[in-house]
Amino acid sequence: MTAKPFQPAGVNPALVTPFSRDQSVDEEAFRALIRHVLPDVDGLVPCGTTGEFNYLTPEENKWLVQIAVEESGGKPVIAGTGAPGTKLATELARSAQEVGATACLVVCPYFLHPSDKGVFQHYYTIAKALPDMPIILYNIPQVVDAYLPRRVVEDLADIPNIVGLKDSSGNLTYTMEILEYAGDRLNVLIGHDEVVLNALAGGASGMILASAQVYPATWQAILSAVKSGDLETARALQRCVQKLSRIFCRYGGGVAVKQALKMMDIDAGRPRSPLKSVGGALLHEDRAEIQLELEKLGLISHPGAEMRVLEGSLASRFESVGLDARAIESEKMRIGTAGAGDGVEAVQIDLVCGAKGGPAGEAWAYQLTYPRHGFEALTTILEPNLTVRPSTLIVPTNELKDLRQANMIYGPVQNAVARAIVDKLIEGVLPEHLAYTEVLLVQASIHPQALDRRILHRNTYQATCAALENAFTEVA
Amino acid sequence: MKSKKTEWFKGIYPALVTPFTADDQIDEVTYRQLIRFVLPHVNGVVPCGTTGEFSSMSLGEKQHTIEICLDEVAGSVPVLAGTGCQSTRETLELTAWAKEAGAAGALVVTPYFLKPAYNEVFDHYRQIDRIGLPLVLYNIPQCAGTHYRWWTAEGMGLAFDNVIGMKDSSGDMPFFMAALEKLRGTIGLFVGHDEVVGAALLAGADGAILASANLVPDLWQEIYQAAQRGDIEQVRQRQKEIQILTRIVVRKGGPQAAKEGLRMMGVTNMSNVRLPMIQGGEFEREDYEDLRSQLENLGKIGTQSVILDGQEVPYALPADITPTLQDLILCVGEGFAGPPFSEVAHIDLVLGKKDGPVGRALERARHETRPGHELALISERPLTMLVPTVTVRGEKARQLVYEEAANGITLALEHAITKHNLPAEILDSICLIANVFVHPAASIRQRVKINNYKAMRGAIRKALEGRPTIQELVAEKEAARHPFRYAP
Repeated sequence: MTAKPFQPAGVNPALVTPFSRDQSVDEEAFRALIRHVLPDVDGLVPCGTTGEFNYLTPEENKWLVQIAVEESGGKPVIAGTGAPGTKLATELARSAQEVGATACLVVCPYFLHPSDKGVFQHYYTIAKALPDMPIILYNIPQVVDAYLPRRVVEDLADIPNIVGLKDSSGNLTYTMEILEYAGDRLNVLIGHDEVVLNALAGGASGMILASAQVYPATWQAILSAVKSGDLETARALQRCVQKLSRIFCRYGGGVAVKQALKMMDIDAGRPRSPLKSVGGALLHEDRAEIQLELEKLGLISHPGAEMRVLEGSLASRFESVGLDARAIESEKMRIGTAGAGDGVEAVQIDLVCGAKGGPAGEAWAYQLTYPRHGFEALTTILEPNLTVRPSTLIVPTNELKDLRQANMIYGPVQNAVARAIVDKLIEGVLPEHLAYTEVLLVQASIHPQALDRRILHRNTYQATCAALENAFTEVA
Repeated sequence: MKSKKTEWFKGIYPALVTPFTADDQIDEVTYRQLIRFVLPHVNGVVPCGTTGEFSSMSLGEKQHTIEICLDEVAGSVPVLAGTGCQSTRETLELTAWAKEAGAAGALVVTPYFLKPAYNEVFDHYRQIDRIGLPLVLYNIPQCAGTHYRWWTAEGMGLAFDNVIGMKDSSGDMPFFMAALEKLRGTIGLFVGHDEVVGAALLAGADGAILASANLVPDLWQEIYQAAQRGDIEQVRQRQKEIQILTRIVVRKGGPQAAKEGLRMMGVTNMSNVRLPMIQGGEFEREDYEDLRSQLENLGKIGTQSVILDGQEVPYALPADITPTLQDLILCVGEGFAGPPFSEVAHIDLVLGKKDGPVGRALERARHETRPGHELALISERPLTMLVPTVTVRGEKARQLVYEEAANGITLALEHAITKHNLPAEILDSICLIANVFVHPAASIRQRVKINNYKAMRGAIRKALEGRPTIQELVAEKEAARHPFRYAP
């Protein structure tokens, strides 16, 4: 077998395509993005799936490849040139060759589902039409809805200018099968950010990844650690980027990458319709999660907020929820406080329990009519449709500035307070006869930078249990 | 091919649920009550089907259940016993036993978990066929993991002397049409997917074995009869009336849905499902409220006389709930309903007397301005205030909150009044505050409205009835899965 004309390897970002507000390609933003990633990468991949290739005109496709070549500083440019039909896919590959692309990445034909024979003929036709253009096969069943059949790949590998296969499936049994049957003739590039370490250890030559334009240095470090046999280091590094890689892979792809780049002050523009910047495949909650992860990786800085805790005598801490110390004392309401944990997962709970017919009940109902922005009160639930008794409102004391902070309160904190209440009912600390005659108001103080949901849940549970014991045993 | 159809295998067969006692034995008393409840409306019964949780029962329990069923039915209709097991050996044993016990036939599910090849499935049934009891093949890929192909169904239908029918629960109409093409007239073809019964009967099905026939056997019998006399309009209309009910039963935990529905309708000692299925699991709490609304709409849940605020009033109450309502000082009810995720409704409702804490809070609030959280009085009677949970930004969000969600909520109030969930006697003396969450990604206006309708129907009931109860909270405390508790 003669050597293949090009052997793809290393770390290659699947570049997003920045679009302006009017949906046109934002050339300057695209050039700026390439300049940002170039020092840490081995090659460039314009017009891939992450680049929304299927929303580009053939002219735009060619132009974007040309820009990538101009900005590449001599590094290989692997142009995405896939299309549902063979004719267009061939033309795109020819255009990419004309403007100087090193190779082309050709996705398995999609929408109409060709037979194995049809898939073979698709690649065979393109390869024969452009014998000097190296071709990389591209398996991505998440969007194609079919695998590139291994038996077809096995035969295509014999064609001299078919040089590699990008596998984005994340299905390592497929990756291993390709390496087994075509690894002697094709370089396999892993295309699924969540299993990069695994694929490299199994024999993949490199990667084409959406996240390689967000943290290319991490991927370089993983690649060299695997090459030198230092699996411990590679595992630790992969673990660091696991959650963010999962969000990119499963919640919006290029859309999520654009949001991450924006948070890093790199203007990557908007997606093209019908994709939405946020609120579609990428929900607001997951966007907030990207920010949290980028902070953890040190790719963006913390806003640097302090946690505010309620101070002063316990009876005086409930004025913001409409109960002053006089009312609490004259109505003999139960009050309790406790803290738990430290650092950014520290929690303080201050709670008051009183008769539903009195000032406590009125304050409770009034809080529901008065969602102060950033301090919205919600009822306490084990899960949706499982509200606890006594009826309990949680009011955050630290302003919730984004959905990430809101998610901490309306997720781990809500569930932990609910479980503490039910457990204290079972233990008899909270007398059962109060379950329908009294109401509870819980002020929850959590750090604006709380990160770990499990620790936050545990601390909130402990603090709420202790505050309930404080309220219902000591005062009695 | 000469016909192997029998005279008895046609019409409506309920796939009977299996009641368990508090110490997890077969509850014979309640099982007999269930059979008496359905018997007037059905052409046959199926003990130990999928809905009967056969896969969670021992061989001895299945035999005991089938015996009770045979005894209670006493020959009035045929008993088609579920005898399918994972292995051929066990299936042979139970099917041979059922023959001796006097079952009219056996319903034998595709061997499941390990996935035998088609020829292995074929040989499995060949061995069961030799027992000599009339056999009904049973295709249910949702559970078994293996779908008969039409050629397998055809081959078995033709080859085996004792195969008198097939039940297809797949809901895969192209498959069922192929089965009709190949086998109609040769064996009896039953549909087992409640959502497509009308279509299947009109296409030529001989009958139906259904989970929802535990609940509404009378309506299914009407549909079957209408199909037999060719009254297409009647079939369409009645199927439409129970379409939501069938969708809940088929997709949201059939056995538990049927069991909770039966409790509401008067089989009050009906148990929950056996582990690992649980109450509040596949059949979620929002589905309970939805099923209850559907049964109310069908007139299957009557009113009881209850004391509310010192007066005796009629209230639509399931048979298994103790008729004590909350006092009207401050009643809290939460409602969460979907799908889809972006269009979910989440309502925190507080209901109480105008001259109590709720009324005072509402009076204070209505005179205040809240930029981004403008309060809206959306009903005069009962006086109802809508409060958006999150800041309303932009025209689309405004429409979704103040038009779609508000319309859903006022419709829920109307229905709650006419269906006796909100007694007319108290409407002038109470007020409600509904704190309403609409997700910023919501787009589909109709779903925002309907989900808020469903959430509000549930929230009103739960506020007045004091649900969930402490017992329910204790039971589900450990297993509860809060959707936002975990990292993505």
